Amino acid sequence: MTMLLFVAHALTVLLMPVLMVGLVNRTKAWWGGRQGPRLLQSAYDLLRLAGKQPVVSQVASPLFRAGAWVVLGASVFAAMIAPALGAYAPLRFDHDFIVFAYVIGLARLFLMLSAMDVGSSFEGMGAAREAAFAAYAEPALFLLIGAAAVATGQVSFAGLIGHLHQSGQFAWVAPPAVLALFILLQAEASRVPVDDPLTHLELTMIHEVMILDHSGPELAAMQYAAAVKMTVYAGLIAALLNPIDPASHPLAAVACAWAIMATVAIAVGCVESLVARLRMRWVPPYVWIASGAAVLCMVAVGWGGAH
Amino acid sequence: MTALIAAVVVLLLGAGASLLPMRNGVRAFVAIATQFAAVVLIWWTIAPVLFDAQVVRGELPWGYPVGTLRVRLDALGAFFLAWSLPMTLLGSVYAAGYLRPYFATRRHVGVHYALLNLTAISFVLVYTGEHALIFLVGWEIAALSAWLLVIWDYTDPKVRFAGFNYLVSTHIGLIFLVAAFMILYTHSGSWFLESYGQWLARSPGTERNLVFLLVVTSFGLKSAFFPFHSWLPRAHAAAPAHVSALMSGVIHKAGLYALLRFILLIGKPDEWMGWFLIGFSVCSAVVGALYTAGQRDLKRLLGYSSTENVGIAGIGLGVGCLGLSWDAPALVALGLAGGLLHVLNHAFFKCQLFYAAGAVYQSTHTVDMEKLGGLSRLMPWTAVCFLVGGVAISALPPLNGFASEFLIYGGLFGQAAPTVWAKLALCVVAAILAFVGAVSALSITRAFGVVFLGSPRTDHPTPAHEVGLWMRLPMLAHALGVVLLGVFPVLGLHLVRGPVELALGPMAPAGISSLDALATTLTLVGYVAAALLALVGGLLGLRAAFGPRSGTKHVTWGCGYGAPNVRMQYTGAGFAVDFSERFRSVLALVRRQKAPAGYFPTDSYVATSCVDAVERRLYSVIGHGDESASRLSRRLREDDPRVAFAGALIALGVIAGLILLSSGPLR
Repeated sequence: MTMLLFVAHALTVLLMPVLMVGLVNRTKAWWGGRQGPRLLQSAYDLLRLAGKQPVVSQVASPLFRAGAWVVLGASVFAAMIAPALGAYAPLRFDHDFIVFAYVIGLARLFLMLSAMDVGSSFEGMGAAREAAFAAYAEPALFLLIGAAAVATGQVSFAGLIGHLHQSGQFAWVAPPAVLALFILLQAEASRVPVDDPLTHLELTMIHEVMILDHSGPELAAMQYAAAVKMTVYAGLIAALLNPIDPASHPLAAVACAWAIMATVAIAVGCVESLVARLRMRWVPPYVWIASGAAVLCMVAVGWGGAH
Repeated sequence: MTALIAAVVVLLLGAGASLLPMRNGVRAFVAIATQFAAVVLIWWTIAPVLFDAQVVRGELPWGYPVGTLRVRLDALGAFFLAWSLPMTLLGSVYAAGYLRPYFATRRHVGVHYALLNLTAISFVLVYTGEHALIFLVGWEIAALSAWLLVIWDYTDPKVRFAGFNYLVSTHIGLIFLVAAFMILYTHSGSWFLESYGQWLARSPGTERNLVFLLVVTSFGLKSAFFPFHSWLPRAHAAAPAHVSALMSGVIHKAGLYALLRFILLIGKPDEWMGWFLIGFSVCSAVVGALYTAGQRDLKRLLGYSSTENVGIAGIGLGVGCLGLSWDAPALVALGLAGGLLHVLNHAFFKCQLFYAAGAVYQSTHTVDMEKLGGLSRLMPWTAVCFLVGGVAISALPPLNGFASEFLIYGGLFGQAAPTVWAKLALCVVAAILAFVGAVSALSITRAFGVVFLGSPRTDHPTPAHEVGLWMRLPMLAHALGVVLLGVFPVLGLHLVRGPVELALGPMAPAGISSLDALATTLTLVGYVAAALLALVGGLLGLRAAFGPRSGTKHVTWGCGYGAPNVRMQYTGAGFAVDFSERFRSVLALVRRQKAPAGYFPTDSYVATSCVDAVERRLYSVIGHGDESASRLSRRLREDDPRVAFAGALIALGVIAGLILLSSGPLR
């Protein structure tokens, strides 16, 4: 059973990124009245990039190339700690959510260092924004986890997210929690309204500007890692809302989780189609909404009494 | 005990011998050799104390009014001695490389080495002193020798000022400490910490609270907690790199030692003490982290990050303190082990970062970020060491900073608090700690990215080069420690186990099992770190084996601009400005500019700097306080009835408050 769940989780976090990117793009195309690319288009793109010979900046040090693989490795590692199917994660131990947050932080650090490595006039700007917005976003995740931990009395990430719907205050905690996670997804995975992955003006980009000088397999690693991050946050929303226990009904739980993640992807696409990217100075207040929502969760938990 | 005395004697002899008329190289060698001997002797003494929970005691009769001089070495002191002396030794080795240009001159380098030996002696005195006077003498030796070490470049008035600033601050701290000792002496009638502890443990109340506040202030000044940190950025920027490293990583940890010693003496602290300590430390961590973001001087940046890191360790101690007052052994174990381990880890990575900064300074003669760049190709060893230290200081896995912060987070999320709101409050502290971690990642990315990556921002007449072996060896030794303590954090637990058991003493059986749980947790953290390393290594190996060869080189994408130059790289100031501007209320951002004017503008400039708000406020009060007061008194006219009525109302309020306080909480 555990083996089955492990395979299901691994497949989810490794394959869903491709599908989620496809779904977001299809949704955006649908709103624009176009047919849009195939659902699995990003898989073909990644494979094509992986086979290409990279062009590297003259200024770049060995860190530049290695950085991309640290980013990918750390993102996949984090995806093994974050629950996606409910109260299950392949790597599960006490306070593993701290490892999750800090492994994501490691990925971010190397992403920013790779950007700084080419001595560009633009990529440092993206790195500065990424670092600042991450600092604003980080407390939200911890506040949310704290609220869930107090509400459920659990100590592992999968436990406290997956068991939240059993707590008495779920009805009060869930809406702000989903809102906070959705904003975190937009911030961490560089989606509109925080960042626009399709913009083509260096001055307005965050994530894309940092990988301007990447090419070939390194670019593929960076893009895939970004998609994995989006999947991880969508997976957190799915695990939070998924009412089916994966240990007793694995197939139903997987199907339900996939459906929720697909819905999240479509929601991301809808937001991207209907809303313009925020002005840079309005991004931090937008990210603070996530912390505010997480504080609401805490208040709800505090009034409801602990587990 | 004999070995302890022998260590002090050897260090004193070394200090004396290094003053003799010899070649500077011989003086340095003598001091380093005696320090090495002292390290061996100290480890000989502390190993049974640290690992078998023995206690070493010694007495020396002395005349009135001092009385019997007594030393006592328990696990807490042993833990601090275990790394303080070896790190001072490494610092002295580094100094042999850093001060090498002076060796051939007429400058007496022996004095510097004698002071390093005295610093090592002060550790022995402070960490073993049971008699308050021994403690104070050790405290003072550390302060004075640190001051003299800081003003190595005494011909520079800025350096002298920084040293003087430090000297004054550290003595203000001493006044608070002496005041606390006076209160304790009046009540216990003895000079011994043990009898202080007996009084503290059985008499909760106003005076104990006062003693607690006094010692927190004093040790806060020593360890550079906010708002008592204003001496620190100046001193760290002015001192030679190894002195900054030792001050930040080792010497000022005595403040945290003494704080923990007092908490242990109190035994079961009041709940407010734990919360106060957490609040105080959170302020330090946040403000220290915010200041690191705006600095352009690499060593000033690292100095502020000391304030941040003592704050983080202080949060751990505060959590342990709460655990003691709630009788929650798991919380005590997590908090104190996390705090102490962070002290050790911080000593490892902070010294390493300062050594790397010193290497940059020796090679380029500047630590101004905006003038550097692209050093990773010219100084690969230094770059790798700085990166390792930087990842560790951002508390990222798989390095050691993560292990200690993991334990502190474990305490904060530990669900051991008695009420829901207390649990939630600890979670809020955890969220703030997460913010601090993200900000320190920002600063270190900025520092490493601007200094070591990209291209050099200015043309140096002599290009930078890698530093010599004397400087590289201590850096590498620290890097090794950082990696080892990250991948095998259980090693660190073996060191902190003794002191934590000391604190857990009264709750023995439950306490021991929570320590074993801690060992399991830390083993897991080690596995996580190793797995992460293996995963990344595997990916890199796959890429090297199966990926396409790296192809052509090309210029960095410059948005299509045809003539980019190195001055167009993103600067450190540009990196931080958006972030720092958001925290204008905490940071003092000074901007001087002259805008171009007229049809043919001649000169124009803009200069921004992030100065210390506390220091600025302090100086403005000292410099212009009388003016502000007289301006205020001129505006308040005593014949104005509004002023008279307001004054009477305030006086009534104060009187009522005093009566309420004296009948209630102050009784």
